[in-house]
Amino acid sequence: MVEIIFIVPFITGLFAFFVPKQIGRPLLVFTGAIHLLLSLLLWKNRPEAYFSDYFAVTPEGLLSLLVISLLFFLISIYTIGYLEASKIQAENIFTGFMLLFLSTMTMVTLSDHIMIMWIAIEATTLTSAPLIYTHRSGASLEATWKYVLICSVGIAMALLGSVFVTLAMDIGQVDAPLSFSALTQVAKSLDPLWLKAGFVFILVGYGTKMGLAPMHTWLPDAHSEAPSPASALLSGVLLNCAYLGIFKTNKIMYAAGLNDFSSLILIVFGLMSILAAATFILKQNEYKRMLAYSSIENMGIIAVGTGIGGIAAYGAIICMIHHSLIKSSLFLSSGNILLGYGNRLITNTGDMVSRMPKTFIAFFSGFAGISGFPPFGIFIGELFIIVGAFRSGRYVTIGIFIAALCVIFAGFANQIMKISFDKFDGTIQIKEKASMVWPQYILLLTSLIFCFYMPDTVYQTIVDAVTAVGGGLR
Amino acid sequence: MILNPVDTILTFVLLSVLFSFGSSRLPMLISVVAFQGIVVSIVPFFLGHGMTAGGMTFTIATLLIRGIIIPMSIYIAIKKVAIHREVEPIVGYHASLLCGLGLIVAATYLSRQLNLPSISNYTLLFPTAIALLVTGMFLLMARRNAIAMVLGYIMMENGIYLVGTTFSVRARHIVEFGILLDVLAGVMIMAIILQNIKRTFDDVDTALLRTLKE
Repeated sequence: MVEIIFIVPFITGLFAFFVPKQIGRPLLVFTGAIHLLLSLLLWKNRPEAYFSDYFAVTPEGLLSLLVISLLFFLISIYTIGYLEASKIQAENIFTGFMLLFLSTMTMVTLSDHIMIMWIAIEATTLTSAPLIYTHRSGASLEATWKYVLICSVGIAMALLGSVFVTLAMDIGQVDAPLSFSALTQVAKSLDPLWLKAGFVFILVGYGTKMGLAPMHTWLPDAHSEAPSPASALLSGVLLNCAYLGIFKTNKIMYAAGLNDFSSLILIVFGLMSILAAATFILKQNEYKRMLAYSSIENMGIIAVGTGIGGIAAYGAIICMIHHSLIKSSLFLSSGNILLGYGNRLITNTGDMVSRMPKTFIAFFSGFAGISGFPPFGIFIGELFIIVGAFRSGRYVTIGIFIAALCVIFAGFANQIMKISFDKFDGTIQIKEKASMVWPQYILLLTSLIFCFYMPDTVYQTIVDAVTAVGGGLR
Repeated sequence: MILNPVDTILTFVLLSVLFSFGSSRLPMLISVVAFQGIVVSIVPFFLGHGMTAGGMTFTIATLLIRGIIIPMSIYIAIKKVAIHREVEPIVGYHASLLCGLGLIVAATYLSRQLNLPSISNYTLLFPTAIALLVTGMFLLMARRNAIAMVLGYIMMENGIYLVGTTFSVRARHIVEFGILLDVLAGVMIMAIILQNIKRTFDDVDTALLRTLKE
């Protein structure tokens, strides 16, 4: 029974609202461990879903699920230390919504029905909104408001797109269940016009949630105002969940032979996101916002890769996995920086290399990883995307792509150098506890290991996932 | 041409759309949204799909949530704070009304071009849906008052529901109910945020929400 994997965090989440923090904190880690165990079992056995009309185990879902589980487990360990060091009112609400958030994201990875997918993605917005408002300040209120309103309106577009897909079924006189897997099989007989319209609306809708420009405006605010464990979850896994919705719709488009159309749109939105990130990262003065823009950049890279197809689609999935691992480690480290320096502005930090050496190691290697230096996986992913683009002769696309990546690297490096090596006269307000640096090390190490050695089953799952959108290691 | 009951009640919705472009007071706008919610939830009744017991229960639940609970929760959220306030337009009322008229013409023209077989008997179904959707977006963009923005979102959702009435033939009610619950929870959360915005900034004018920007 596949569904148990999101029912467990749902129940513990509801339970967590009513217990004091002495129980709530261990409950978070405990649920994380159970969730990880369950998803490893799911990988091994790949059982059928009980409600097979609505849920299914798919390769792309399995990949996201494993990332979610691993990340949540490590983040929950970090969260204990974070909660002790920071003052959060109503901690039970925070823990409860963290668990509900986990539950809804898991549901996204397992949904197969188009509308259930929508329900689950909208539910992730609703369960994560209270997390952003945890600090109860005016700015966090504004971020929450923007997040809920922009994402709800955006996702409403995706609902409209999903309805258009059902219209495509009506007009093509297709009688099939309304699930991604069934529609992929009958894609040829769907009405192409309405399918295209549906894809565009779904891309705009879930693209809002994924942080594609120009719908990305909520993302930097939400990521910078949320407490760091929540930011790590938002950036590391929530964006992937939204991408999953686009990916699955793209599968239908590919099966219907409309992939030229969908590729073009994906590439345009992807490039816009990378360019938007490049523009804003250069003059950024807050480090958490800088990381948020880097997420927008990486989502753009993933969209471009998926759009190009072939080996680039494989690269996009590699980028997705490694972005989650590395970016969440960066956000956790940024939590340490925030607690240590007590300030979000880059100018009020400095000399991290000697003041917070353990965090420095995690933060700096995370930076190296996210900007595409060789020992980390993003390098390989981006390389595949570039190779794929050259193979398919998209020279302009890849020219813009590479130029923007260079600009982003320059901007990013400049800020990181300031945080790490500039002079700093104040005092550091926390001690670097082991539980607040080891999760980052493990995340980065996982990324490193995946770069040199990827288990066959993972490799095969990635290939299975991308074959359906015309990708593969060819 | 004899109008069928669906088109007759949808005419009122189109009129209410025009009304919401020109209305300056929030309580008025809330009642308009409530009226639209009631109409879109009873439309499937008249579409002539076979009514089962499950379908009946679902329609009543939709009616309760879209027509009563959602507007009421917004009303309660703002009762103490901003009830007699204006919607703080960015685009003026006369210009808004003109936009509304243009929109209805465009929506009617568009739906004639699209030629949808499943709803071809109901001339006004698709134009009304488009009009509701675009009006919702218009209110989101052209009003600075946070409550008016939430009402715009609800109006959009009503419009999508109306497009989805064709979809409701094939979907199980459990799926539709899930969508409805999400929308309800979304509006509830927005209402809570509205109260907090009011408490923190002492107003619901979104021009005050300007600390986070590039």
